Amino acid sequence: MRKDRAAYLFLLPWLVGILFTVGPFVVSLYLAFTDYNLLTPPHWSGLANVREMIGDVHLHQSLKVTFIYTLVSVPLSLGAALAVAMVLHRGVRGLAVYRSIYYLPSLLGSSVAIVMLWRYLFGYQGVVNQFLGRLGIQGPGWTSDPHFALSTLILLHVWTFGAPMVIFLAGLKQIPAMYYEAAAMDGASGWRQFRSVTLPLLSPIIFFNLVQSMIASFQTFTQGYVMSGGTGGPAESTLFSNLYLYQKGFGELDMGYASSLAWLLLIIIAGFTAVNFLAARYWVFYEN
Amino acid sequence: MNTVDRRGALKLAGLAGLAATLPACGRGFGGGGDQKGDAVELNMVWWGDAARAEKTQKALDLFHTANPGIRVRTEYQDSSPYKDKLVTRFAAGDPPDLMAMRTDSLREYANRGALLDLAQQGGKLDLSGLTDSARGLGVVGRQNFGVPSGLNAIGFVVDKALTDKFGVQIPDGDTWSWEDLATFAKQVTTASGGKVYGTNFEVWTIANLIVWTRQHGEDFYTADGKLGITAATMTGWLAMVQKMRADKAFPPAGFIDPNGGASAAQSYIAKKAIASQIIPTNNFLTFDKVCGGQLQLLRIPGETQGARRGQSIDTPALWSVAAKSKHPAETLTLLNFLVNDVAGAKAAGTTRGVPASRPVATAITPGLETDDQRASAYLAELQNEKLPPSYSYPIGASKLTNILKSISTEVEFGRKTPAAGAAEFVDAGQKALSA
Repeated sequence: MRKDRAAYLFLLPWLVGILFTVGPFVVSLYLAFTDYNLLTPPHWSGLANVREMIGDVHLHQSLKVTFIYTLVSVPLSLGAALAVAMVLHRGVRGLAVYRSIYYLPSLLGSSVAIVMLWRYLFGYQGVVNQFLGRLGIQGPGWTSDPHFALSTLILLHVWTFGAPMVIFLAGLKQIPAMYYEAAAMDGASGWRQFRSVTLPLLSPIIFFNLVQSMIASFQTFTQGYVMSGGTGGPAESTLFSNLYLYQKGFGELDMGYASSLAWLLLIIIAGFTAVNFLAARYWVFYEN
Repeated sequence: MNTVDRRGALKLAGLAGLAATLPACGRGFGGGGDQKGDAVELNMVWWGDAARAEKTQKALDLFHTANPGIRVRTEYQDSSPYKDKLVTRFAAGDPPDLMAMRTDSLREYANRGALLDLAQQGGKLDLSGLTDSARGLGVVGRQNFGVPSGLNAIGFVVDKALTDKFGVQIPDGDTWSWEDLATFAKQVTTASGGKVYGTNFEVWTIANLIVWTRQHGEDFYTADGKLGITAATMTGWLAMVQKMRADKAFPPAGFIDPNGGASAAQSYIAKKAIASQIIPTNNFLTFDKVCGGQLQLLRIPGETQGARRGQSIDTPALWSVAAKSKHPAETLTLLNFLVNDVAGAKAAGTTRGVPASRPVATAITPGLETDDQRASAYLAELQNEKLPPSYSYPIGASKLTNILKSISTEVEFGRKTPAAGAAEFVDAGQKALSA
């Protein structure tokens, strides 16, 4: 019991914080069924917002962008995180330094300054294209061309693999060395050891990182907002769901619809997380 | 110590989900003076940069001296976040007393009762120095919800340093046609060996498109608040730019980052990547400075060839008063000062355009910097000419820029033909205005 009390003490800031979350949460559920322009009181509109969603091509585009972004960038960034964690785990001189270097982009990646920097790097006359120019290739406007803008943001996301990498590193450290010794004794190759020892014992960590990354990536906002100056452009190619929601609520003064979009996103995220947990039964291995 | 067990993983994942709330988008206004005392405190907000802030503060210092009973607390920031912040202030029941208002948002606020009707304020606000068309910029029906903070127009700037370098003659800025622009721009690109593009202007900026529409005998917004531009006129606009792009008079697709809310110093013309563009005339001084002082200020092409004149007198921003202001009388005193005080107008300069009051404009012009005088003269000439009337932006107008930006980008990259893009714009625009 004493232990529990200590836990609640540490949870206290979060419990207090939730008071400030629950209020807006409930209000936004109400607003989702209203017509609310922020300047005059909301009007109950029943399922009008839901009906609007069905025919809203911009919403469909924003969901497409968000799905592509999540389904491509999450596996890539987790793969990169695991690969680098494996290398670092093998024992590198100055591990702490490398770990910090690889972790740094995670701290910076969604910051406005870095997104601005990327815009300059990947601009039509940016550093990347100057390099390509030396090879005789005229690169596109990586951020201004609707064919490439989302890929550029996916690359930015993959670059910020540091947070899952640190968690992977911690997980790798907890796999007892005796398993590897036994496997080596049985003549298992490095690849075989990775598949039969590392991956199963690391699977809870992979699962955690997967759920965490997917939720975060469904909620992407800053990258799209800064890269496109708030428009979701070029040509709606970076119109993330959250960005569209923001545009509707604050740009077009349609906060009722924006609230219903927020709930739609919540349902989608909950759905994906549930699928993740169901699927986890078949591939996540708990040692005890 | 063991690897994470099932319950641990569940808890962690659950916490992560709950903790990941919607991103915090709050951003504070950059702020000015904050003095308290017995004085009535007014809150005045606007968008702009540090240079405008400095000049505004100088004018307010004069106001404070003349009105010791009123303190003005100003806040400012960039235009795009300003718009978002302003609406949340209203939603929270804490609107500023005096605010800069975008012309395309005016009716979105006014029609919902958020703004004070300035026509009902009797003698507290003297607008007799304004021409009818200037006053009309803030009028909705019989009510008046905004006073122009200054007057401007759009103008075409050409960097003479570049054209001299490449030996290209600048066409006559009062009579040139859109064909003249295309020919001129192509000459510049060719003469520079492709290092400088002859021209680039924002295809999606509604103010630019409005001039084109008026030249074709149509109203972009009609008197009854509908979208007046036809698909044919819209097609012409998009096709003209695509033609220039194909001729390399305009930069290739993707060259310009349309989303960079770049300042004058970061603009493509300042970087000598293009030789000409359209700017609002109140920014002429700043642009000329960052471009090296050789900018020529021309009219928009096509003014003498079209069905009628296209240019119009606009305002960079209106001053509006919140209906819920706790100190309407003091706020009107401040607004009246901003509109009619010569010393104040002199201190504030013309970053928000030429003073809307003609006597004030006449009084301060001799003391302005040369470039501001040039922009003022440009505007004064337009004011003396007979221009077709323009109508206030209907509710929903602020959505059109994003719609056009998206469609014009698709045309730029050849994903849509100009005709298809135009049809889509007219359709989406009509819907946006009727919603």
